[in-house]
Order: sequence, then C-alpha cells, then structure tokens
Amino acid sequence: MRSVSDAAHRPRYVVLGNPGCRRVGLFQEALVRAGLAPALLVSWLDLLTGRDDLSVTVQPGDVVRIESPGREFEVERELLAWGAESADEEEFDRLSAQRLQALTFERGRILAPRQWYLGFRRALARVSTQLEACGDVTTMNDPAEIAMMFDKPACHAHLREAGIPVPEALGSVQSYEELLDWMERCRCPRVFVKLAHGSSASGVVAYQFQGDRHQAATTTELVREAGEVRLYNSRHIRTLRDPHEIGTLVDALGRHRVHVERWLPKAGLDGQSFDLRLLTIAGEPAHTVARLSRSPMTNLHLLNDRASVERVREQAPAVAWEAALDTCRRTAAAFPRSLHAGIDLAFSPDFRRHAVLEVNAFGDLLPGTLHAGQDTYGAELAALSRAA
Amino acid sequence: MGIYEFNQQFAGKPVINWDANQPLADAENHVYRISIDWDDSEAGEKWTDRLAMFLDDPASAQVTGLIVGFWGGEPGDESAAPVVEALVAARDRLPLLNGLFLGEILAEECEISWIAQTDVSPLFEAYPKLEYFRVRGSTGLRLGAIRHARLKELAIECGGLGRDLLHDVFASELPELEHLELWLGAEGYGAEATVDDLAPLLSGELFPKLTYLGLRDSEITDDIAGVLANAPVLERLEVLDLSLGTFGNGGAAALLASPHAPKLKKLDIHHHYCSDEMIERLRGLGIEVEASEHQTPDDWGDGEHRFVAVGE
Repeated sequence: MRSVSDAAHRPRYVVLGNPGCRRVGLFQEALVRAGLAPALLVSWLDLLTGRDDLSVTVQPGDVVRIESPGREFEVERELLAWGAESADEEEFDRLSAQRLQALTFERGRILAPRQWYLGFRRALARVSTQLEACGDVTTMNDPAEIAMMFDKPACHAHLREAGIPVPEALGSVQSYEELLDWMERCRCPRVFVKLAHGSSASGVVAYQFQGDRHQAATTTELVREAGEVRLYNSRHIRTLRDPHEIGTLVDALGRHRVHVERWLPKAGLDGQSFDLRLLTIAGEPAHTVARLSRSPMTNLHLLNDRASVERVREQAPAVAWEAALDTCRRTAAAFPRSLHAGIDLAFSPDFRRHAVLEVNAFGDLLPGTLHAGQDTYGAELAALSRAA
Repeated sequence: MGIYEFNQQFAGKPVINWDANQPLADAENHVYRISIDWDDSEAGEKWTDRLAMFLDDPASAQVTGLIVGFWGGEPGDESAAPVVEALVAARDRLPLLNGLFLGEILAEECEISWIAQTDVSPLFEAYPKLEYFRVRGSTGLRLGAIRHARLKELAIECGGLGRDLLHDVFASELPELEHLELWLGAEGYGAEATVDDLAPLLSGELFPKLTYLGLRDSEITDDIAGVLANAPVLERLEVLDLSLGTFGNGGAAALLASPHAPKLKKLDIHHHYCSDEMIERLRGLGIEVEASEHQTPDDWGDGEHRFVAVGE
C-alpha cells in the first residue's frame, strides 16, 4: 500500500477554474488538509482566450479537476463569444460578437443561456482535446458528462433511458401557446418551465392553471428596455396570475430554449416542502442535505432553510429511503466518468415514490455539510486515493 | 403560502399512508390516509378504486379513522363528490369510523382554494359514530345544517370561508361539539365573515360543550379578539386558537382587558404580529401562550400589510 507520506506517489492536482472563486479556495484547503500540495490553477479566462493551455500545465500522472466557470463576468462574456461562433440545431436568441463587446456586468441578468451553453460545450470539447495531449491523467470529472448535465433535456432523456425515475417531460416548447397546447394534450395542469441551460432556480417558472385561473411562481424578472425584453434572476419569488403576463415571460424564456416537465408534488418536512441535494462520490451516496421551502422552488438559493438527513430518515419509511439511495447509485452509474454528481431528488408527499429532478456537475459546493467526518472535497480526495 | 406537510396524528391516533401492498396491521390503532398520486392517475386509477381495495382487506372493518388525501384527476378539476358518494356507500363496511378528514391535500398537490369540495352533509347521516370531522378547501363545500349526536370536533380548513358555510355551521345541532375550528382566510380567496357574522357563536348559545374555539387564518384577527374579549363564549373556553392569522398588539390589548381571558388554559396565536412585550404581558395572565412564528408586516410606503399563513 502506498503511504500518504510517500511524496513520490502523491499526485499533483491541477484545477481548471476561476482564480479567487470560493469553490477553488475550498478545494485548495481540502488538499492542504489531506497533506497534499495546493493545486496548480489554470484559469478559465486564460484557457478561453488562448493565453493558457492545459497541455502546457498538465503532466502524465496528474489529477485534473474541472470547476465551474460561473460567477465571473469576463468568463461569461468569453463563453458567449465562443457560442456566437457555434452552429445550432435550432434558432434561439443570440448576441453578436459586437454586442458582446459592449456588454457591461449587470447583477442577475440572464443574457443568452443557449448561446452560453453552445460556448461552454465547445470549450469543454477543447478541454478534452487538450487533456488527450497530456498522456495518462486522471480527471475528477469528464468534459462530455459535464456538458450533458448542463443540458437539461439531454440529461433528462439520458436518465429516462437508464430507467431512473424522472418527472415526465413535455417536449420542446418555444412559446406559451405551445406550452398550453402540450399541457392540455398531456393532461398536465402543473409544470415546471426551466431554462434548458440554467443553474439552480435561474429562469424557472412553476406554472399551474385550472379553468381560467392561472398561477405562476417565478424568480425571473422581466424588464422592457430599449425596445427589448430583458430577463433577470431575483431572490424574490413573484406570483403572476395574469395569463398575458405569464405568456410574455414563457415566450421570453422560450427564446433561450426551455425544458418543461410535470411538476411533481413534493413531500413535506417541518412545515415546508423539501427536496434532497445528494452528492454521490465514486458512485456512492455521501453528503446529503434536505432543502426546505414554502415555494415550489426548493433550490432557490442558500437562504432556504435546511434540514439534516436524519430528519428525513425519521419521516421517510426505510424502504423508501433505501430505494432513493439506490436511484442515486444508478444515477451516478449513468455518469461513469464523473467522480461526483450532485443529485436533486424529491419524494412524493406520501413517500411512495421519488424522482430525480436534476443532476449537477458542480454540485459539491456544500460547505458545512459533512459525511463520515469529511467535507465534500475531502471525501472526494479520499475516494481518489482509495482508487489509486 | 400554503400547507406543505401532512399531519402525523389525527383523531388521537398516528397516521399511516395506506399502501396497497401492505396488509393492514393493528388497524384499530391507526388512521389511514388514502390518496392518489400522478402515476396512479396516469395508470387510470381513481381514488374510489383505492378505497375499494382498502375495504377488501378484512381488517378495514376495525378502522376508526380515515384521511382522504389527494383524489386525483386534474388538481381541483374533479370534485370530491365521487369520494363522498363512495364513503357513504361504504358505511356498513366501516362500522367503527369515528374520524374523517376529507381532503388533506398539500399546496404541492393543489392550492387550498383550488381544491374542489362538494356537499358533505350525507357523511354525517352515514356515520353516526363520527366524532372528528375535518375538511380542507371551501370551494364547492356545503355542510348543510348538521344534526349529529356524537360529533366532538369540526374543522374547516380553507383559504377563505364564505358566509353560507358560516351559516351552515351556526345552524347545526351538535350537542357534543367540543372543538370548533374555522379558518376564515383572506378576502381575495373568498373570506366573507365580519365580526358581526360571528355574533351567534360569540353569544355562547351554540354548542353547549364547546371548550376549544379556533378562529384561525384570519385577516381580521384583532377585530375578532376585540369582540371575543367580552363575549360570553370566552367564559366557557379552555383553548382560544387565533393562530395562522394577523393577531397583533391590538388583539393582545383587548384580551389583556378581558375578564375571561385569564380563565383560559391556552391561547394559541402562532403566526402573529405581536410585540415581545405584549406576548410577555399575555403570559402574565398565567395562561399558556403559543406565540411562535412572529411575523413582520410588509410596508410598501402605504401602511402595514399583514398576511394570513394559509392563502395561496
């Protein structure tokens, strides 16, 4: 067995991420705690602008971790620029390279998520190519699987094919009119409309109607400015009851590609509804938090109340809990090249059923949540050293 | 806001979600919740089919309490009429039934004001041993003037109670009624009751055994407290439940001046707008005060807005 103190066998870590980002900082701390050297950092911005190349930094035997490129405006602009040059299967709203140059940072603004995704997918393909040139390296997560997890319709279809319980999807919808048509045809009066490439509750509408009563809960603000409709994420949930207003919002989201699925009712805990963020590491369920909410959006932000996994286990029958864990194992197995996956899972109100709502590529930012005494990053490093 | 969690106890017994694959065990000591979910619904199963399966278990004859959960169809689109009809038809197969909760449906399943209720009056005739009856949702709900010799607990949980329902309740003859809970709700969702409408109840002439009065989830909680303070009914109460509503310092001041309030065992005002100081003064009456979930009023520059806990 290799000894931890055997420096010759300690792998070197390389992180592709945004310098100064909290995720990178927490991972570096975990490396230090594990007695390892801090990771070398390749910045997303440098990679995207061609100033840096993974094949320059990464050497055979290294472990590479791809981190979120999020929360950095210059990186977002660069990914959008990469997306501006990508062909698309369908027509969605685009920002020209010229307009991108003129953009300034606006808090919460939803720019062009489809174009962003096309850029991100292209960048991930570039990451793959660069890593292939590095020889024998270990990757903590896989570029192609990250791309899949960031594509909600594709991820949903992938899980469904793997026999994993997911809410029924209502197909591709580009307008409110199409949405109503689908809802009628599927006899489905309650749906979630989500941006196909949005993270957490960005661009999500929980919509229901009955007769001529309509209700849509959303965190998305719609602003008309300079003759265009702009979308913003807000921390506040608004309830819209006017079908015209709802229609305008759904139409606006539809121009960026949306994923529509049945709104499955969630079970309750401590007076609120809840879902689970369950992180699998090396295929096994590990860090788990229950996210509580008095709104349809349990994944709104970190301000939502949380409950411990023990509280959930007190409520859920053992057989339901075990079945959910099994689903998480199978979900992780559907992404065999990802060391970790952040699975969002909800139980039905009577715990008879459960469904996987999302799989998050960068779902391991769960500060303060321990499993077997380790935080998420520490547990990932331990899993890697076991596998080595 | 709505209701997001099931009750774990009903009619004094623990609740179990009935599972068609599990034979009933210790049936007399549990309450069973029968509900339909989306997958059942998609498979063409109806709530009444599930009740029939439940009744096929011979142990169901020992069951004393049932909860009707979500009954399927499109939320709110299919009323409880077939459910009530099936329960009435099952009267001889549930000879011990003394507790029924019709429509324990979560906001995640259907908004409370979208639940399509029905005329439930046939249930009271069908089940003479009924002691506990709760119903959630007032849309389409009719009680009729109930004549029932055993009913101890009656509760209407809703986002807005109409005047007609209030009249139904006040016209009922319920000599054993101890616990009455009316969720008055918000005007935007059908709340109609004014303090004047409550006069027959406050006079203390209805329901001779009443000891628990809940006037919950109301936009006019302070006004209600104002008239309750000197109302004869308060003298007989052990528990006054003004929770889930808009109880504030005005309501507290009224109760502090009431000759009857110190005789209460418990005052429940949880989800309230009362100051800490007023809560302390209420506790000074020597009664138990449940004052959790302190709320802060919204103010958009046009004065304070208080909200009930359960609307939509």
